[in-house]
Amino acid sequence: MADIKIEIDGQIVNAKAGETLIAITDREGISVPRFCYHKKLSTSASCRMCLVDIEGVPKPQTSCSTPVSDGMKIHTQNEKAKASQKAVMEFLLINHPLDCPICDQGGECELQDVAVEYGSDVSRFSEGKRVVAASDIGPLIQTDMTRCIHCTRCVRFGSEIAGMMEMGGTGRGEDLKIEPFLAEGITSELSGNMIDVCPVGALTSKPFRYELRSWQMVSNESIARHDLTGSNVYAQTYKGQVKRIVSGDNEAVNETWISDRDRFSYEGLTHENRLLTPQIKVEGQWKEVEWNVALDFAIKGLSNTVLNNRKAHKLGGLASSTTTTEELYLMQKLLREIGCENLDHRLNVNNLDEAIHLESNLKLQALEQVDHALIIGANLRLEQPMINHRLRKAQLSGANITALNVKEFDYNYALNHVSVAPNEIATILAGVLKIVLEKKSIELPEYLSAISPSSSSVELAKDLLNAERPVILLGEHIINNKQAASIAQLIAEIAKQVGANTLNLSISANALGAQHVNFVPNSVGMNVNEMFKAEMRAFLLLDVYPEYDFHHANSAIEALSKEDVFVVSLNSFNNDLVAQYSDVLLPMAAMYETSGSQININHDIQSFTAMVKAPDEAKPAWKVLKVLADLLELPGFHYENSTQILEEFEHQPAHEHSQETAIDLSQQSTAIETVWMHNCYHSDALLRHAKSLSMSTLGQVNSASMNANTAKELALSDGDEYLGVPVDITETVADLCVFVNSNQATNIRSMS
Amino acid sequence: MISDNAKKQIDHWIEKYPQGKQSSAVMEALKIVQAENDNQLTHDSIQAVADYLNMPGIAAAEVATFYENYNHKPVGKHIIRFCHNISCMLNGADDLIAHLETKLGVKTGEVTKDGLISVKKVECLGACVGAPMFQINDKYYENLTADKIDDIVDGLQ
Ligand code: SF4
Ligand code: FES
Ligand code: FES
Repeated sequence: MADIKIEIDGQIVNAKAGETLIAITDREGISVPRFCYHKKLSTSASCRMCLVDIEGVPKPQTSCSTPVSDGMKIHTQNEKAKASQKAVMEFLLINHPLDCPICDQGGECELQDVAVEYGSDVSRFSEGKRVVAASDIGPLIQTDMTRCIHCTRCVRFGSEIAGMMEMGGTGRGEDLKIEPFLAEGITSELSGNMIDVCPVGALTSKPFRYELRSWQMVSNESIARHDLTGSNVYAQTYKGQVKRIVSGDNEAVNETWISDRDRFSYEGLTHENRLLTPQIKVEGQWKEVEWNVALDFAIKGLSNTVLNNRKAHKLGGLASSTTTTEELYLMQKLLREIGCENLDHRLNVNNLDEAIHLESNLKLQALEQVDHALIIGANLRLEQPMINHRLRKAQLSGANITALNVKEFDYNYALNHVSVAPNEIATILAGVLKIVLEKKSIELPEYLSAISPSSSSVELAKDLLNAERPVILLGEHIINNKQAASIAQLIAEIAKQVGANTLNLSISANALGAQHVNFVPNSVGMNVNEMFKAEMRAFLLLDVYPEYDFHHANSAIEALSKEDVFVVSLNSFNNDLVAQYSDVLLPMAAMYETSGSQININHDIQSFTAMVKAPDEAKPAWKVLKVLADLLELPGFHYENSTQILEEFEHQPAHEHSQETAIDLSQQSTAIETVWMHNCYHSDALLRHAKSLSMSTLGQVNSASMNANTAKELALSDGDEYLGVPVDITETVADLCVFVNSNQATNIRSMS
Repeated sequence: MISDNAKKQIDHWIEKYPQGKQSSAVMEALKIVQAENDNQLTHDSIQAVADYLNMPGIAAAEVATFYENYNHKPVGKHIIRFCHNISCMLNGADDLIAHLETKLGVKTGEVTKDGLISVKKVECLGACVGAPMFQINDKYYENLTADKIDDIVDGLQ
């Protein structure tokens, strides 16, 4: 676009030919009122609020839909512009209830702000106003549609960003109503953004309803840590409580959107199930004690079991990857300092000899630019919503996307779904690799000799070879695939040969932080599954909830519950099983209550400060770990704040874990395989305590999907349960496998 | 929900649009489905049309609720579409609508008990020259008076 000069209110401004006027005034800090315009949505120019006067044009023009050209002279403030804006305001207010005193949007309402500036103080409208009956669209969004000004931002958000048009304008003229069509209300995983885009109080946060005025709260930047994106948010707090989360702006991360998971998880912070005081178990009875007593008790227990008799190799440290990098760093430092190499965060992996090693080497902004994507084993929409959003953008600008999944999920963009049973994936990829290598006349490795590529392999290979900027994404459904390591290895090989980038989405939350600080055992240490088979004497557990976190939940609970095993648990929520096997319970600060950092899929270390103090006696885990280290008289723990911890590890080179496993395509089990995924709103402890999310349509999903043939093989029918989860018979699932998506804890995974 | 015959008719309209733009046929599709279902569209039939055309239900509902000629409540065998736009209004449409309502014992938007007649208020039908006017099924009746209305309505079977 050519550089041009235009004049706005007598001031010469540089612009590009064809840019919309409102984008320029926004950039220059010239205020033009608007309702329907949103920088990330298409132009609808329906509210008419942004009228300005352009010299030589007889009528006022909407600045959101006017492209500029060289020499244009624009007046945003002259009499004509002002008069037009005032007139539009008057029309907009005709049917608006002006119930600001009882409206949640009051104080942060675009209509209120603009009305104060442009509205008249006397209404000339004496007729009856339009009233729209309230409709219940689910537990997350409160509607008051009488306040709606029909800007259609929410409608456009649905069809353009969420990829599912759920809201729409029905009726006509005075009867026009913005509403959803489906009785179950709004089901998008990004629905909460409609609250942010709605300029008035028609769509507001239901959990936050009637809580506070926006000006009463303090708003600070923070990071949501439920997935690999680490969306930037504002945490709004009042008297030491997080009251609301709204999206922050960061083009490199989440643009201006956040998932509902990130928006509403804060509700869990004030759940009555929080662990609030340190406790010690004396003769089988829990006793609430002071911190120093609890810590002394912990030290004594650890000393008696492992430290005093040089048995650090009988100590195990396990952490959930929802914790901060600082916490993980300190915990591994502490353990290694006392000579313990048994530590792990990969709690949900069945077989760590088959662990996935695959790098993520494409940033989110670049993901939008790919022309081909191959998704393997992921329902990205629910598992990594913002990554899915980027891929959707790529698709909309022409990328060709293929998903290799056990189930045909509700994708929100057009893609080519290939149905596969878990035990077919490695073979299909081997076929792809074979075709690619043959095409490039590269000598075939031994393991490919017996492979004869299927038609799926041919198609996949063709797409990858034809693409200029392909990416391969490996998802969470693969972690417990019997051939997981081979699959990852094959992907890496294919990517190398076709020049594709890769994204490893089989991990989540802050697992990249855990990798960075090397929270895995070195060669002499034991991994999580080995620890449970060994004769351990003590454990240090960081925010672990066994029935949800461990793949081998049963053997984990058994090992931890042994009479002579001393267990120190740091948790933010109470949990019966934790109480059963622990000897000391230390209440830890949850998300937004501690400072620290997360490493996201872009490999950016995103730091945050504590938004609120943890409730009651709960303390940030990094502080607890530091004091434990001090009590153990370990050197090098003189931290005054978490930033000093960060400084210690941020410049360390990230640990490389790429281990070359031999690709093994032989073991093809014929058994019916189960892919188990937590419901997306139950994937960590904070989420499981967020009430509104649990009540939402997505939060209620609890099903074991299988096709009719598999059901027959398993002698199940509709209404039965499979591993405690209701059976859902659908032909969208590949033959001879089951896809479980459950909001319940279970120990099913110890069975496989 | 949609009969094979209706599908055939809808396909005929889909063919008129470029591939992948089948949702352009939504107005005709709604019309066809309405004709098959007692001249009425329900939530489910709108969803069925949307599914058939591979578009969101709400998008089909937007169209179905925008135009007067789609009915969302049971309608009579004969539909009287009474214009109440400016020319007709100035020529006394409102009083005549009230007259018709009393005569039939129904309000606009309702059906007579025998299911024979329903009344709808509509916008300008482009016959201002003969205002006030209404339309019954496909026929226009102009320069209406209360007497004329009585005659016309009494003649409906
Ligand atoms: S509900 Fe809000 S965002 Fe949606 S059209 Fe109405 S005012 Fe606009
Ligand atoms: S913002 Fe320009 S018309 Fe609404
Ligand atoms: S106003 Fe009634 S026909 Fe035009």
